[in-house]
Amino acid sequence: MKHHLLPTLLLAASATLLTGCTSSDRLPPTKSHPAAVGSDKHDSKSVKAAEGDLNEYSAISIADPLEPLNRATFWINDGLYTVVLRPITKGYQAVIPKVVRTGIHNVFENVRFPVRLVNDTLQGNFKRAGLETERFFVNTIAGVGGIGRPSDHISSLADLPEGDTGQTFAKWGIGHGIYIVLPVLGPSSLRDTVGIAGDYALNPVNWISFVYGGYAWTIAIPSTNSLRVTHEQLGVYDTATKSSLDKYLAIRSSYIQYRQEVAKK
Amino acid sequence: MIPRLLVLAAMIPFLGTASASTAEAEKRLKTAVDEVLTIADHASNNSGLIESLRPVLHKYLSFSAMTRRAVGPGWRQFTLDQQKKAIDLFTILIIRTYSSKFTPGEHPEITFKSATEAEPGRVEIPTTLLYKGSHYSVTYRLEEAEGWRVTDVVIEGVSMVANYRSQFDSEFKKGGADAVVGALSQSVEHPK
Repeated sequence: MKHHLLPTLLLAASATLLTGCTSSDRLPPTKSHPAAVGSDKHDSKSVKAAEGDLNEYSAISIADPLEPLNRATFWINDGLYTVVLRPITKGYQAVIPKVVRTGIHNVFENVRFPVRLVNDTLQGNFKRAGLETERFFVNTIAGVGGIGRPSDHISSLADLPEGDTGQTFAKWGIGHGIYIVLPVLGPSSLRDTVGIAGDYALNPVNWISFVYGGYAWTIAIPSTNSLRVTHEQLGVYDTATKSSLDKYLAIRSSYIQYRQEVAKK
Repeated sequence: MIPRLLVLAAMIPFLGTASASTAEAEKRLKTAVDEVLTIADHASNNSGLIESLRPVLHKYLSFSAMTRRAVGPGWRQFTLDQQKKAIDLFTILIIRTYSSKFTPGEHPEITFKSATEAEPGRVEIPTTLLYKGSHYSVTYRLEEAEGWRVTDVVIEGVSMVANYRSQFDSEFKKGGADAVVGALSQSVEHPK
């Protein structure tokens, strides 16, 4: 699951977020209780000994004053994923062979280069911006227009963290504001919604429709771009919600934690 | 005397690197992962997989620690019976979620990165998982209590325990321990 997927899709479900977060949902352990982890026997002694670790994880951490509206949007999205997106992505998976899908995926990722470059630069991370540029040229030239990913075999280029606009805002110290569930796009925050708009504008895939707007084929390219990631994102969505007690809270928590992680990269 | 000194001197470089506990925790996790993958590779359907994974997961995960922490301070207000019920139900849920991630015929590739000792008795082991063509970062948290056990799994920064923490918290505020146990059994009986 990569955040870079989020902005491009007009269609996808995603799980992610950041700064109204005062406390983290997943702070690393702060206390030292070497003996605190009880045994899996449920005797009272081990439970007692273990009580010191009850504050390991603190509860939720983003302002959600719009919760009733957000919940409504959430359930509409949930239905939409089931009724519309799942059949479409299934069709895409069935009709287009995996090799071709991988190629398509790689091309779109490669073309997305300006999103990463601009944000790395805005974050003052010139080293990463340089590596991104290097990767773009390697994949465009040696990977034949980005269909292949020869950069995976170059260790300095293989595992570059993604840059996105919401992440840039986070690094600038801008908080999440409030939690917002966007129609179709899914979980976001005030800050990340602006970020999505930034990513959208920076992605060359979407420039086509600015320039040649109105023709059917200008929709085809961004749609393919959305389809290629939707399948993966629905998988992530299912994982987060499948065994949840409350789907809405499960996704909200996942989003906050995920965006916090992205902001650290 | 001199050979003994030499032996000691030869050991010095190792003292500075991974501590004994990270090495132990890593070994334990690798054993667990190997066992799970062997089972997953031979499973043909999901319900069979759950059955064969259950004893393995009981051996390597600390379900009681997970449940306790996912509930948080409210745990003190649970009776022993409610605690036991909560642990049992949460265990079913975790095993079911975990087992559902495997698709027959798809073999995940896991690369272990260097482990860190967060504090004595606690080790975090970052890994990367390549599954169905996608890369995921997965960090395992292990703690020492009757051997090393996994107490949390963090996927792309999302901690499983923290995720349940916010859900349990909301149930607890609604109706205390009974609400938590009720919501858990609801979820176990009616998978989404």
